[in-house]
Amino acid sequence: MTSRPTVTIHGADGDPSNDTHPLPSVFKAPIRPDIVQAVHTGMAKNKRQPYAVSEKAGHQTSAESWGTGRAVARIPRVSGGGTHRAGQAAFGNQCRSGRMFAPTKVWRKWHQKINLGQKRFATASAIAASSSAALLLARGHHISTIPEVPLVISSKAFEAGALRKTSAAVKMLHEVGAGPDVDKVKASRKLRAGKGKLRGRRHKQRRGPLVVYDPTKDGKEMSLAFRNIPGVETCSVYALNLLQLAPGGHLGRFVIWTSSAFAALDSIYGSTTEPSELKRDFLLPSNLVAQPDITKLINSSEVQSVLRPVKGGAVTKRGNVQKKNPLRNKQVLLRLNPYAAVYSKEGLGHSKVKSEKPGALDEVFEKTLMEN
Amino acid sequence: MAPTQFENLSEDLIWEVCRHNNAYLCKRKQAGGVQFSRDPMNLANKHSRKHAGFVNNKAIGINADSNTVGMTTKIASRQNKPAKSTHNSSFSASTPSRKLYRNVVNSTAKKGYRADLRGDAVARASAVKQSQREKKDTKEVKLRGAKARKAAAGNA
Repeated sequence: MTSRPTVTIHGADGDPSNDTHPLPSVFKAPIRPDIVQAVHTGMAKNKRQPYAVSEKAGHQTSAESWGTGRAVARIPRVSGGGTHRAGQAAFGNQCRSGRMFAPTKVWRKWHQKINLGQKRFATASAIAASSSAALLLARGHHISTIPEVPLVISSKAFEAGALRKTSAAVKMLHEVGAGPDVDKVKASRKLRAGKGKLRGRRHKQRRGPLVVYDPTKDGKEMSLAFRNIPGVETCSVYALNLLQLAPGGHLGRFVIWTSSAFAALDSIYGSTTEPSELKRDFLLPSNLVAQPDITKLINSSEVQSVLRPVKGGAVTKRGNVQKKNPLRNKQVLLRLNPYAAVYSKEGLGHSKVKSEKPGALDEVFEKTLMEN
Repeated sequence: MAPTQFENLSEDLIWEVCRHNNAYLCKRKQAGGVQFSRDPMNLANKHSRKHAGFVNNKAIGINADSNTVGMTTKIASRQNKPAKSTHNSSFSASTPSRKLYRNVVNSTAKKGYRADLRGDAVARASAVKQSQREKKDTKEVKLRGAKARKAAAGNA
C-alpha cells in the first residue's frame, strides 16, 4: 500500500475540523456492479411472504363432461338443473368461475440462498462505490453542496444522545450540505400506481442519505431523531445492508458516516492481507487490474514502447473531401501557384501598368514617313 | 489527466458502471432508440463517454444563468469535494457573441482543457445566447392593392 488518502472529519456545522482519518481499506474494494446486482436480486426476495389462491378455488362444484355427441365442447359441465349455473362449463382456466391456470402455491420457492462470500463482496463493493462523487451523481443524489465524499461527521455531534430531536437532525443535514438531497426526496413523493396502494405501499419516493453510526459509541437515540425525515435511513456500521447501500442494485448511495463508524470499518472489514476481526475467514477482495485507467494504460511507456511507429507521418491522405475552389481558398491557391503569395503581397493585381504617354513625334521621323 | 483518488476507480470504470443506466440518461424508443443526457455538464446533451460531464474529471458546462451565459468547469484535483469541485464564471448579457466565444475558448480549449470540446462549447454558448435574445415583433404586413385594403377594412 503506497499512500493512503485521508478523509477530513467534518463538524456537525459542516465545517472541516483538523482531524482526519485514513481511508479504510474497504474503500479500495473492487467495484463490481454484476455481483452487486446478482446479490441484490437475491436479497430483495428474502423478505417476501408467501401468498396463494385458495386450494379449493374453482373446484367447488361437481361438474363432469357430457362427452361427445351433444354438440358442445367436452369441458366439464355443472350438473343438475333449475338454475342457470347448471350446464355451464367449469374447472378450466378459460371458464367463468373456473380455477386459474397453474394456481399459485404457498410452497413456491420464495427465498434465495446467497453465498456469504458473495454477500460480503457485494457489501464491500457497494461501500467502495459510495466514495465516488460521480457514482453518487449517477444514482441521482443531489450532492453539489456536500464538502467531501465520503462524508464523515464527527461523533461528538451524536455522543451521549446529543442528537435526540428531529429538528436538530434536520438542521444538521442542512448544515453538512445534505439539504438538497432531502428536499429532493420530499418533492418526489408520489402516489403509487396500481394495487400496491391498498397493500401498505401507498407512496413512492426517492432515497436520501444513509446515516451510518456505531451504536456502541454514538448510541441509538440518533436513529429516532432521523427516522421521520423522508428518505433518510440509519444503519449500524456492524449491520450494513446491501439493500440500503445499493438500492435497486444501483451502486453509489449517498452515505453519511459518523467518525466512530468510519473508524470501525477497518476492524469490521480488515484489508486484503489482514483478516477481518469480526467476520470469520474474511479478507477483502483484491482488484484484478492494478490500473483501471485505460488512458494511462495506453500512454504508459510499456505499451508505447512496443507499438510500431505511425505510418505515413504527419500528413494523412484525406479521402472523399470536398474539392476547394482555389480562387476563393487562398491555401489551396498557394499549393497550386506559389507565386500567388508574391503576387498578392506586392499588390500586382491592382497596380496600374506603368505607361508613359508617347511623346511628340520626331520631325525627322515624320518627314521620312511622308517622303515621297 | 488527473490522478484518480483510488486505484479501484477510474473514469473508464465509472462510465462502464453507469453507461446503461444513470440519473441523467433519457432513453426514448423513437428514432431508433435515441439516448440523450440531462447532465448540466454535458455540452451536446448526448449520452456518450466524451460528453458525459459527471464521469469525466474535466468537463465544461454552459447554461443559461439568469439572463447571462454561465460557464462551469470541473476542477480535476477536487473530485471528492463536490462543493468546491467546480469553477463558475458568467458572461453578462451585453457581451458580444464573438467576445463570448473567444472567452469560452480562451479559458478552456486554448489552455489545454478539453480541447476536444472546443466546437461544442462555442456552439452551446451560441445557442444559449440566441435563446436569450429579445424577440422582435413581426412587422405589420403592408397590404398591396386597393382590393386587399378594402377586404381588410371590411373584416375589421
